[in-house]
Order: sequence, then structure tokens, then C-alpha cells
Amino acid sequence: MENFIEVRDVVKQYVGHLALDHVSMNVPQGSIYGLLGPNGAGKTSLIRIINLITRADSGEVLLDGHKIAESDVSQIGYLPEERGLYKKMKVGDHIVYLARLKGLSRVEARSLMEQWLERFELSEWRDKKVEALSKGMQQKVQFIATVIHRPRLLIFDEPFSGFDPVNAEQLKREILALRDEGSTILFSTHNMESVEAICQQISLINHSRVVLQGDVAAIKQSHKKNIIAVDLAGDETLAPNDALYTLLPREAGSRESLIRLNAGVTMREAIGWLNEHCHLAGFHEILPSMNEIFINTVKLNQHAEA
Amino acid sequence: MQKLKLIIEREYLSIVGRKSFIFMTILIPIAMVLCFAVPIGIAYLNDSGSDVQTVAVLDETGRYGGAIDDSDLYRFVPMTADSVGDPHEFYRQADGAIAAVVVIPADVDSSLQVTVYSDNTINAALKMHIDDCMSDTLTGTRIASYGVPGLQKMIEDSSVNVDVKGVKWSTDGSETETSTEIAMILGMVLSLITYMFVLMYGAMIMNGVIEEKTNRIVEVMASSCKPFQLMMGKVIGVGLVGLTQVAIWVVLLGILTAVGGSMLGLSSMGSAAELPTMATTPATTMPIDPDVAGVLQQVMNINFGYIIGCFVLYFIGGYLLFAALFAAFGSAVDQASDASQFTTPIMLIMVIALYAGIACAENPSGPMAVWCSMIPFTSPIVMMVRLPYEVPLWQLALSIAILFATAILTVWLAARIYRTGILRYGKKNSFKDIVKWIK
Repeated sequence: MENFIEVRDVVKQYVGHLALDHVSMNVPQGSIYGLLGPNGAGKTSLIRIINLITRADSGEVLLDGHKIAESDVSQIGYLPEERGLYKKMKVGDHIVYLARLKGLSRVEARSLMEQWLERFELSEWRDKKVEALSKGMQQKVQFIATVIHRPRLLIFDEPFSGFDPVNAEQLKREILALRDEGSTILFSTHNMESVEAICQQISLINHSRVVLQGDVAAIKQSHKKNIIAVDLAGDETLAPNDALYTLLPREAGSRESLIRLNAGVTMREAIGWLNEHCHLAGFHEILPSMNEIFINTVKLNQHAEA
Repeated sequence: MQKLKLIIEREYLSIVGRKSFIFMTILIPIAMVLCFAVPIGIAYLNDSGSDVQTVAVLDETGRYGGAIDDSDLYRFVPMTADSVGDPHEFYRQADGAIAAVVVIPADVDSSLQVTVYSDNTINAALKMHIDDCMSDTLTGTRIASYGVPGLQKMIEDSSVNVDVKGVKWSTDGSETETSTEIAMILGMVLSLITYMFVLMYGAMIMNGVIEEKTNRIVEVMASSCKPFQLMMGKVIGVGLVGLTQVAIWVVLLGILTAVGGSMLGLSSMGSAAELPTMATTPATTMPIDPDVAGVLQQVMNINFGYIIGCFVLYFIGGYLLFAALFAAFGSAVDQASDASQFTTPIMLIMVIALYAGIACAENPSGPMAVWCSMIPFTSPIVMMVRLPYEVPLWQLALSIAILFATAILTVWLAARIYRTGILRYGKKNSFKDIVKWIK
């Protein structure tokens, strides 16, 4: 897969504070890429550099193989974490205005605006002022304004905040649909569940540096602690086997026993042995959640710095 | 350019479409016309509505009973001390039929004092009328007492009033009559317009910037266009709103003065029976009073093309200069209430400029006037005052050059501040921070 965005060794220094310390990352074409990190880690600084709001002090950003330039603005759609619209403008006019700033013609912007309002069931609000809309509806308007010019790169900063579960689900469907249509999506969030659900790759930024990067599945594999949950038929208890595994305390209320494989033991060996000696009803490997990985990595990072 | 045009368009339409704008634009000329019309109307109503009142004149000298003429509002009835008796008792018995009692004491020739009694505060118009009549009469008596024949006429002839006419020589030797008063008024009006405009619309720009910032729309805007475009779009858009407003005012004021003027003219013609020339002549061929003609001639003698041309230049330069500052300072704060630390210096400069302008009207070629019309922060206001007095061309050219150079520099600096400021939230910024952003 070709990289649509390449961030190479970007450094950004603000007065008295280093925001980005030699950050690099590659976002494959047509993927959903998660940009993770605690507050103040440098995510927003990086996003602002990618969408040309600010400039990096050193390093470069490539878009589709060329150095990103002012003319690429029309290829980017940005939904900032802090949403905002002109309150006194009419919904339709507002969407058309932002679309035209991104280079659409008036006619094109109008017809797309109508389509999108229809899709989000906001058509009847077209001639109402933005301030008359509920917060959720304003969020939808902002989402429309972000995607209306069919950008090849979409940057969503905490897109789900402020949405109720029903609307969040609709938003997720729209985001996946945009990816399927070929857009590359950069997705900045704290919400680890949504990362596991939709991101293929991630970069975790902490204290201005990338501390973890790569494919979500691979990261989970590499962070696994070789723990297997085993379900035995009936009331049978798990027999110990010091050569293969260690028994872990069972989680309260769970039927499953937890074992940690000893170093060098494969799951196949352990399950094979268990299958012969007990009535095995089921088993599955426990992979760490992205949430755990996030917290552990950030903590580890803090210890290392201290 | 396309984006700049879009932003200007939005700024312009968003303000012009507001109810408050429409309200202000229509209300202010009406208020201005009312300012002139109301006193005239009130004076008219005051004179026409009230009944003629009777004032008793108790003449203790026996010589000045008829000295006070009747006026539009008062009829004076001479009485003698015998018929009246005690003035207060007499006044009480009249029970409202008499408005006041004037007592001319026996020694009035030497004391020069007359007393008016009433149970009300004595009306100023009545006092003035009595003063005028008694002064004339007593002056006449005194002149007559010298026994010089024809002295009255001699005194009248010897009292003169010199009319100082200003005539300007142009280079070809031709003469045009000028009026210092008209030049002064014109200058003050132009400088006041500049002052008002810069403050009103400067504040509007600042509030717009703060609103965008608190709204957080600015982040979306910044990802679509350059901050410079956003700032200039606002400055130009709001400037155009101002020009629209001024244009509407000029038209409305013209219409209102024409309508109001003709109404007042008609009504005064109806009541002014003592002006037979005006009342009997049809309005179209109305002969113009020579004084009015002179003023009109002097107004016509002012080189309006030149003044308006310069006004527009200074106006644009001054507006750009201050608007850019307002935009930059607006970007540095999170809410309007935090802006005062930045706006106070601007206000101070503007007020100083206005006072300098007023002072320079007295001596438009003095060193202070020349200096203040060179300093870019005061020149748009001060030069307006000097303009009607023919400023040397080199001064004018230099002043405009300095103003525009400063305005462009300020816009450039403001853009650098703005670029950083609009994306900074949650921190109170000082002048020191702003200076850092420029680097």
C-alpha cells in the first residue's frame, strides 16, 4: 500500500516548549490511521502542520509523494476537536461558504449541500440560523462542511465527542464509507474502543515524541502476555503443570481459568496437553486492549523520563 | 484572490444584513435631523401656542409708563402709584389676570434698576424685553440731557462694525473670497467623520475577530485559507460596510434636509407676515439674501474635488492603520472584556489626535499642526482640519506617503500577530507576548 501522507522528522518548537520532537509517520493510502496520545502530547500541533495551518521548524510532510503546499488545502478536510460555526449564518449558506473556500463552485457547492443535508435529515433546517440548531445537529453540519469538497485526506480530531450513541454510529458508518470511496483518514482520539474498531494503524505520541507506532493487530500481538482463558466442562478444576504454564487467579464471577504460558511454550503445546488431561470446553487468547497498551506505554514513558 | 473575495463578501453581507445595522443606518440621520428640527419646532410651538399675558407697569417716575413696548407674548399696561397702592396686594387681587408687576422706581435715572415682581420665577424672555426697552429709553434720555443737537445721530453714525473679508490670491493673480468659519467647520466635520468611523468600525473588526476565536470557527477557517486573507477579508469587508453606511447617510440626510427644509420654509412663510418679500414671492424666484449668497459663494469657492480626494486617501490610510491594529489585538484575547489593555492605548491616540485637530484649527499652519499632520497616527484626523486651508503640496505628499507606508507596515505586523494569536486559547497575552509573535 502506498503512503498517502509521509511525515518526516518534523520538529516544532514554541516559545519555551518543544511541541514535536523529530516525529515521523506514514499513513497508507485509503486507510484509517489513528493518532493517539494524552492531552498536550503534540497531536494538535502535528495536525496543524499537516493541514498547513502552521509550519514545521524542520522536517517535511509529503502528500501523495510531493511536498505538501498551499494548493493542497482543497484536498484536505479538517474537523477540529473544538467545533465552531458562525452562529448567525444560515445552515445552507454556511456549508456553501466553507465549500467554496475549499475551491468548489457555487453551483456545485449548492447541489452537494442539498444532498448532504438530505442524507443527515437536516434539509428542513437549511434556511435556519446555525444558532437555532441543537448541538448534535451543529456537529453534523460541521461534519458535512468537512467532507463536502470530497477531500482525499480527512483529518478528524475527536470526531465522536458530543455525539449520542445513535449519531455516533451513523458518523462511524459515514467515516467507513468515505474510506471505502478512497479517502485517507487521519483520526485523532482518546477513545481507544473506536481505535480498535476502525483504525488499521496508529501512532502514539507522548511528550512530543512517537512512543508506539504500527499496525493495530501487530501491536496487540507484540504486547500480549501469553495469557489464555480456558473453559473446562462441568466443575472440573484445572490441573497445574509447572512445565507448561502458571495458574493465575480466576476473575470473579468468571467460569474461565486463566493461565500464563511459560517462556518458550507455544499455545499449541499447552492446549494439546490440556486437551488430553481435562475436558476442554473452550479457550481463547487474551490480547491486551488498546486502552491497556496506551496506559502502559504512557506510564512506562513517564518512568523512563523520570 | 477568490478566497479573499469570498471572505469579504461574507463579512459584508453578515453585517449589512443585521437588524442593528439597518436600524443604526436609518436612525442616525433621523436623529441628526431631529437635533436641528426639534429646537426650531419647539421654539415655534412655544411662541405660537401661548396666550398673550398682561404685565402691569408701575411707573413711579411718571415719565416712563409707555417705555416698554408690547411684545408678541406680553402686553404692558401702565399704572400709577395712586391707582395701584401696594403692588403685592394689587397683584393678589388681580388673581392671575396679571402675570407680573414691573416697578420703575423714582430714581431709575441714576440707579438704573427696575424690578419685576411675580409669584413665579421671572421668565428670561420677559426680563430681556424689559431690559432692551428700558435701556434704549434711558440711553435716549441721557443723550438728550446733554443738550447737544443731533447727538443721537452722531452716536449712531460713529458706531461701526468692521467686516473682515478673507480673499485668497491664487498663483495667476485671480481672487477668490474665502471664509475661515466655513473652512473650519468643513475641516472639523471631516475629522469627526474619520474619528467616528475608525473607532466604530475598528471595534467592530475587533469583536468579529474575538467572536471567530471564541466560536472556534477560526480553526476551520485557518485550514481553508491563509490567516492574512482572513484578516484582510474582515478589514476590507467591514470597511466597505462603513462606506455603504456613509453613502446611505449622505443620501438620507440630503433627502431629509430637503424635505424638512421645505416644510420649515413653508411654515415660517405662513406665519411670517412681517416678511412681505418672502411671503409674496413664489419660491422658485425667491431672491436670495445677499449674506446667504455670500456664504454660498464661499462654499462654492472651496475646492471640493481636492478635499474629497484627499479625504478618501487619508480615510483609507487611517482606517487600514487602525483596523489592522484592532484585528491584531482582537486575535490576542479570548473575550472582549480582556481587550481593554490593548484598546486603551488606541483610544488615547485617537483622542489626542482629535484634540490636536481641534487645536490645529486655530492655527492650521503652525508647527504643531505640521508635525501632527506628519505623524501617521494623528495625520488622518489633523490633516482633515488643515485641508481647507491649502496645505503645501510637499507636506501633503510626504504626509500621505508616511501614512501609507506605516499602514502597510502595520498590516504586515498585524498579520504576523494575528496568525499566532487566533490559534492561542486560554492564556492572557500581554504586549510582551505579542512582540514575541512578530518574530
